[in-house]
Amino acid sequence: MDETLAEFIKRTILKIPMTEMMTVLKAWDFLSEKQLQTVNFRQRKEPLVHDLVLLCEEKRASVHDAALLDIIYTQFHRHQKVWDVFQMSKEPGEDIDLFDMEQFKSSFVKILRRALKNVTVSFRDAEENSVWIRIAWGTQYRKPNQYKPVYVVYYSQTPYVFTSCCQLKSNIPLLGQALTIASNHHKIVKMDLRSRYLDSLKAIVFKQYNQNFETHNTAMPLQERTLELDIHMDSRIIHENRIEKERVQRVTQEAFGDYPQPRLEFAQYKLETKFKSDFNGDILAERKEPLRCLIKFSSPHLLEALKALAPAGIADAPLSPLLTCIPNKGMNYFKIRDK
Amino acid sequence: MEWANDGKSKGGVLAHLERLEIQVNRSRKNLEDPQRAQAVESALGTKIHKLRCLRDELRAEVKQRQARVKASTVNVEPDQTLEISEQEVAERRKENVKAILQAYRFTGLSGKLTSRGVCVCISTAFEGNLLDSYFIDLVIQKPLRIHHHSIPVFIPLEEISVKHLQTNIQHFLFCLCEYLNAYAGRKYQADRLQSDFAAFLAGPLRRNSLCNLLSFTYKVEPRGQSFPFCARLLYKDLTTALPTDVTVTYQGMDALSPAWEEQRASHENLFFSKPLHQVFTSFARKGEKLDMSLVS
Repeated sequence: MDETLAEFIKRTILKIPMTEMMTVLKAWDFLSEKQLQTVNFRQRKEPLVHDLVLLCEEKRASVHDAALLDIIYTQFHRHQKVWDVFQMSKEPGEDIDLFDMEQFKSSFVKILRRALKNVTVSFRDAEENSVWIRIAWGTQYRKPNQYKPVYVVYYSQTPYVFTSCCQLKSNIPLLGQALTIASNHHKIVKMDLRSRYLDSLKAIVFKQYNQNFETHNTAMPLQERTLELDIHMDSRIIHENRIEKERVQRVTQEAFGDYPQPRLEFAQYKLETKFKSDFNGDILAERKEPLRCLIKFSSPHLLEALKALAPAGIADAPLSPLLTCIPNKGMNYFKIRDK
Repeated sequence: MEWANDGKSKGGVLAHLERLEIQVNRSRKNLEDPQRAQAVESALGTKIHKLRCLRDELRAEVKQRQARVKASTVNVEPDQTLEISEQEVAERRKENVKAILQAYRFTGLSGKLTSRGVCVCISTAFEGNLLDSYFIDLVIQKPLRIHHHSIPVFIPLEEISVKHLQTNIQHFLFCLCEYLNAYAGRKYQADRLQSDFAAFLAGPLRRNSLCNLLSFTYKVEPRGQSFPFCARLLYKDLTTALPTDVTVTYQGMDALSPAWEEQRASHENLFFSKPLHQVFTSFARKGEKLDMSLVS
């Protein structure tokens, strides 16, 4: 095991918090129970990591073993990456997709290697027939850089692919090509959807975020239930504008539903529109070219924050459809031009 | 008349005479009084007697009343239970209807009207086993549209709705039912194989989201006397739960003996005609038969 690999393994293990150390190592399944028992997990992190790296050397860990550990760490800490979503499409009238995971993997690697010899590709199967792919890019003359890999998450027989943001933008077309061909698709297009929360992105594109359905098992129709507001909680409080408040509540519930919203951190609107002013003779109003401006809404939980705007009295209900369409359209990047 | 209590008479002879006079008067009274006292006594006695009689009467009446009340409550209950049972009957009828509506799930296709349309529930089943339920919430407008649903993303819902949703909603729902039931059936077979017959598999079961491609290596006898066969099952028709293509191959360098070749061909036929887990159940039974023959 050469120095660079040892250093890479050391830095990867160092990233793992002590509370997760055992879980991650067991998931990795590279060091045996026996070997793990010989290590003192109560010592401080640096000597512990040193011991673990020695064990890895003993067992002759390869680049692929180290890459697998990196995937597992990233799976545990997926929020540390920002994820993009790509959508693939097929030609109409194509045959049924008989997806074979092993065929996909070998096809994917072949296409990448054909274009780029120096590349490390690793796979880890995950839940619901999905696969996590880790790609470390090199160049014609340089070995792959293990510290800047790209991660791809793909659920078989779906048109969506999730990728961690790639710093080396030049490799994206190649990645897209490999994914498209290996998964029996024709085209791939980047969606205007980005977030740290991979599970929320999945819920949005797979349309799994609203799982409330009315059945004969529910006690009351959903709408009635949610209209029993806090308003009726304390009889000593008299609410002014009760009718207006109920209207706002109803409109908000129609727009956002009564399920937990998927988690996004921002929505960005690029406006290229002409300036509209009430004043005549305003300098800006005379301008023929459209103004360009960027509006960004940020929040630890954007959709819940938007949902709370009208009931809190900060905005009028109904909210602009540009804000309420985000999960439905699967977009949080918008370009708005004059019609 | 108050006397001084020192026993000494005071006041001389006249006083003494007075005292004596009083004494005589008193004793005379006492002679008369027995009669009066007796009269008083007897009066009191009769009063006591009367009161006792009254007490006994009242006690008797109380007892009677208690008995009557008990008797009357017994008589009153049937009336009250009549009232309750009318209410109960209405409640029971309501519960019954609710239960029937809930039981419609077992028909495979049921629904509930919503404020904006209908929420349809497709309950899948395979070989009498109730499997997952999927929902589609439809908005009844022109054009008819889907509000939200719980159909897995790999089922071609888009395709089916483009073809049928606007023109023939019945056909749309039946088509969807077909796809979902077939998928549930294939998934059930794959899950059964993985969990109940893991001993027969020499390696992991390869599958995909739609469960329309299954690839595995298996042995007819779990305790390693037979050759391992590789099976590859393709389900090109997504509306069926049985494969359309089956390939069973032998993983090895030597050619197969005719006996094994026969077995290989028969296995291919088995996989075509029977659900996966049933094929393996028959392998297990054959194995038991062989064991029995060895024992005897």
